[in-house]
Amino acid sequence: MKLSSNKYYQTWFKNPWTYVTGAILLSIFQLVTIATTDGAWGVTGPFAVWGAWVVQAFGGSVDHWYFFSTESGRAALDRTFLTDPASVRNLGVIIGALLATLLASQFKFKKIKNLRQVGAAVFGGLLMGYGSRIAFGCNIGALYSGISNLSVSGWVFALFMFAGAFVGSKLLVKYFMQ
Amino acid sequence: MAEFELDCLGEACPIPLVKTEKKMQELDVGDTLIVMIDHSCALKNVPEWARKNNYDVEVEEVGESEWEIFIDKTA
Amino acid sequence: MAEEAVKKIVDETEATPSSRRSSSRSSRRSTARKPKKDQTLQGLILLVLVIAFGIYLATISATIGIFWLTGIAFGFILRRTNFCFTASMRDPIMTGSTSLTRAVLIALAITSIGFVAVQYGASIKGLPVPGMGFVVPVSFATVAGAFLFGIGMVLAGGCASGTLMRIGEGFGMQMLSIVFFVIGSFWAARDMGWWTLNFISNGPRLHLPEIFGWTGAITVQLVFIAVLYILADRWENRNQEL
Repeated sequence: MKLSSNKYYQTWFKNPWTYVTGAILLSIFQLVTIATTDGAWGVTGPFAVWGAWVVQAFGGSVDHWYFFSTESGRAALDRTFLTDPASVRNLGVIIGALLATLLASQFKFKKIKNLRQVGAAVFGGLLMGYGSRIAFGCNIGALYSGISNLSVSGWVFALFMFAGAFVGSKLLVKYFMQ
Repeated sequence: MAEFELDCLGEACPIPLVKTEKKMQELDVGDTLIVMIDHSCALKNVPEWARKNNYDVEVEEVGESEWEIFIDKTA
Repeated sequence: MAEEAVKKIVDETEATPSSRRSSSRSSRRSTARKPKKDQTLQGLILLVLVIAFGIYLATISATIGIFWLTGIAFGFILRRTNFCFTASMRDPIMTGSTSLTRAVLIALAITSIGFVAVQYGASIKGLPVPGMGFVVPVSFATVAGAFLFGIGMVLAGGCASGTLMRIGEGFGMQMLSIVFFVIGSFWAARDMGWWTLNFISNGPRLHLPEIFGWTGAITVQLVFIAVLYILADRWENRNQEL
């Protein structure tokens, strides 16, 4: 029997799952996270540290910056990628998505199509990077985990991110769509 | 009963859906729109939108991470 | 506001010559397809490597092994469900669809119930309450950061988790945006002293249970989520009638 027509293969690996299934499964692994590590899921925490590692690799120094002079900041600088839990988890998200894509036979490298996409990626990336740092996280750390940990900061983040998404949608239509 | 193509290959969400919505308005009843996509998110939100509008939808996987969505403008 | 956005798009597309062309190929084009590549073998090989790497990481520390496992799970789930936090905020504005918005609200409700149980359990046993690291100060930095993040994620076609997920899916655009994500984050780290001095250090850390008590906090939270769910559902159907 061909694998591609097997009904269990199709349900588990091929056909997209519903959004609500996603909500339930993500919640389960959020609970796994808080039960095993005393924290919740976050993504952007290590990004600034990655930047610092690169700068240090080229002989630069950042340990006099306020951000890296705190106890946790200094500890993060001293770690390597494989001993930094949050960095390993981020790599896991990439590989987990790759795994799902391959098991569905849907992997293809998708080139950047035009200059508009380059602009959107650069500008959008910078805004997300800066924003997530000063707001202590992204959609996951500040919003999903913030709200789930019953923090008011999560709801404030959600409200103003929605305002940002509104402006972003206008910009996208105006400048980044043909 | 004409057939139209909409090439959304390489376009990130939500552009395929926005273009599909716009294109379907131009079509006459009985026409078919073929939306070509390679973004897995569009594979979900374009058919979802079309079904909600009571159009007939068929999805065909034409390659790795490439799909054609057939939407019949039924009403 | 949604109509405005859509109208804008319509105007834009109309300005450029329509690419309408009749297809010469036959309907449903079932013939003359290049054969699809089967990638399940590569997938299984990767699965073995994922497990092997997990075992290796667990020898460094059990914690790292758990982070690897949860990362794989989150990536797999995001990809299989196309769960997208960006779309949950953007689609109501751009396309009027709120199916992801409602899914995110469901996730928030379920996770909140689980987290409040874990936190309450720790608190009555006199243990340190887990997750308090996510209860961060509310200040102008939160407002500004969230606003910038909202703009960025719509432009870049994915937030942080979405960007990582799409890298795994093979998108060049997100491979570029992650580089600038890191640069932006590093840039903000340089300015962090200023933000902390002027805003963050004055911002209160507000944990709902301190305001409403444990039962009150989860009740208020769930009622608020339910109200948002109803609003999202109404918003979608309102758009439907136009």
